[in-house]
Amino acid sequence: MLDGILTGLSTAIMPINLFMVFVGCFVGTFIGMLPGLGPISAIALMIPITYGLDPSTGIILMAGVYYGAIFGGSTSSILINAPGCSSTVVTAFDGYPMAQKGQAGKALALAAYASFTGGTISAVFLLVAAPALASVSLSFQSSDYFALMILGLTAVAAFSGKGQVLKAMLMTVLGLMISTVGTDRSSGVERFTFGNIDLMDGISFLLPAMATFALAEVVMAVLKRDHMKEEENEADTSHLGSMKVTKEEVKEVAPTALRSSVLGFIVGVLPGAGATIAAFLAYGMERNLASVKEKLKFGTGSLRGLVAPEAANNASSSGSFVPLLTLGIPGSGTTAIMLGALIAYGIQPGPRMMVDNPDVFWSVIVSMYFGNIVLLILNLPLIPYISKLLMIPRTVLVPMILFFAITGVYLVSFNTFDIYIMVFFCIAAIGLRMLNFPMAPLLLGFVLGGLMEDNLRRALMISDGSLSFLWERPITFGIMVVTIFVLIAPIVQNFLQKRRSEEQVLAGNSQN
Amino acid sequence: MSVSKPVNKDLIGSLIFLALSIAYGASAQLIPFYPGDEYEPFTARTLPFALSVLGAGLSFSLLISALKKTSEAKPDQPVLKSALGYDWSTVIKLLSLMVFYALALKWLGFIIATTVFLFGGYWILGERRKKILFGASLPFVVAFWFMLTQLLDIYLAPGQLFSAFGG
Repeated sequence: MLDGILTGLSTAIMPINLFMVFVGCFVGTFIGMLPGLGPISAIALMIPITYGLDPSTGIILMAGVYYGAIFGGSTSSILINAPGCSSTVVTAFDGYPMAQKGQAGKALALAAYASFTGGTISAVFLLVAAPALASVSLSFQSSDYFALMILGLTAVAAFSGKGQVLKAMLMTVLGLMISTVGTDRSSGVERFTFGNIDLMDGISFLLPAMATFALAEVVMAVLKRDHMKEEENEADTSHLGSMKVTKEEVKEVAPTALRSSVLGFIVGVLPGAGATIAAFLAYGMERNLASVKEKLKFGTGSLRGLVAPEAANNASSSGSFVPLLTLGIPGSGTTAIMLGALIAYGIQPGPRMMVDNPDVFWSVIVSMYFGNIVLLILNLPLIPYISKLLMIPRTVLVPMILFFAITGVYLVSFNTFDIYIMVFFCIAAIGLRMLNFPMAPLLLGFVLGGLMEDNLRRALMISDGSLSFLWERPITFGIMVVTIFVLIAPIVQNFLQKRRSEEQVLAGNSQN
Repeated sequence: MSVSKPVNKDLIGSLIFLALSIAYGASAQLIPFYPGDEYEPFTARTLPFALSVLGAGLSFSLLISALKKTSEAKPDQPVLKSALGYDWSTVIKLLSLMVFYALALKWLGFIIATTVFLFGGYWILGERRKKILFGASLPFVVAFWFMLTQLLDIYLAPGQLFSAFGG
């Protein structure tokens, strides 16, 4: 492992890579700050730039963008109560009230320190967990991978919230359906191309990401007339107050940051859970642990309420790299798009990655630590200036983002047909967003579709067409049992909640 | 007197997905089937058929739960009413501009098409300041074009119109 760390360190400290960490964090912070645009959009917009770079440099840049985008999202949550992404929604609960009390600077500083703690602790965990899991997963077979992918896709749907499980599953199925467009990799026959040559190669992984996130988010903002709200935002970012944090405050929040970082990492490693759930869980845990007096402060500017989700969402971001780097299975929309990018570089994430591309594997892990330092040392003091970038009129920013999104996809294939498909996907995404369908499961289904089909095919071939591989191999069976549990858990929970509320109503009626 | 119920979002969504799953399954029939494929445990049609069945099943479940929701008189906010308040005209103009950009990119080339796209985008969103309209379009596009073609060595084909006239 020490060899690996040294390899990663030597790659990560190359001037170009250090520069990319800085650029990634900076650009990510800026894009993440824009309300509505989260890490998925930020990474999707940066991918075309990374094609000309070395794979290690490219993935380091994207990791920096990921961190930066989450940090930027927290900034807009605190300053203007407009979370850049879902994982920073909780940050606004206590961050924004602090900003309203004239403590925006302190809130931003605390958020940055919490993110640093979360990122650092989870980077150390990642350093230990990733190689361990990678060595275990070397014994995995096609059937295990197929089961793991099913678990990942199911978990994303199961964790998507009350009333959203079926919709998330449908979106996953839609993503899988889109992944079948093009030439079948095994038999070479065309599927769903309807004789169109432009569809023979399938749909580029970047296209749905750009169309359903970057493009659709910007168009949705225009649809809701959010682009006209720029003046309000400018006014609020002009005075941030002091960024100093006292010793007492550090003492108060330090245990919170540590607890939330550990929780965040564990949640991040679980497929499908991700930074949003980590942030909510950490906030809930901290409120439960707080004294009655402290509990009342939550939601009105509690320091612990701000630090908990910030440490957790950053720790979870690092945690989500564990299944991506060791199993090649992304646990969230953001890591799904990174998987697509890695495959585009010719690198197959998975247990072999540590052996075949140790420089990429280790440099990503080491650069995460650098990313945290960059965010703390460079981005925090620059926040007042970066937030000035938000003053670019939305009338200019919106067409620019549209241009970068379209060009990003065009520069992959140099085919204008992709732009038409993008527009079509964007319209469909707007419709589905209006009907409250989540988009991340679609992306995950789309990226995993090809891999899942390959593994299912191999597993079926080995077992001579029988589905017995699902219960004959202990690892596959174990994963399938977990999948069923993950699937049933929210249904049982809903049922129990419903029953409890019915009982309460009945009890209330009998008392009357 | 009957009270008209507002349109349920889940109901619309489930019907769309049900139709999509059926259409997808029907299109899967068009995937070529080679002789001997019937003996193979997995063909190019296997996953599409499975997805079609799964999609239809899930859509049907959502449909049932949506109908139950409607009968329990717990509809979420009306879709049509909330959609009417949106700025559809600007969005339609922007989407049309994107389609035009794709066309222009092919025929007029990167610089002209992108300049027109950005200029049009600013204009559609209500920007009227000449300094921004002209300053943030052509100079930006030329700088971006220079970066792509000269620094990153990416070849950008000239528009087909110019190729046709230029020979």
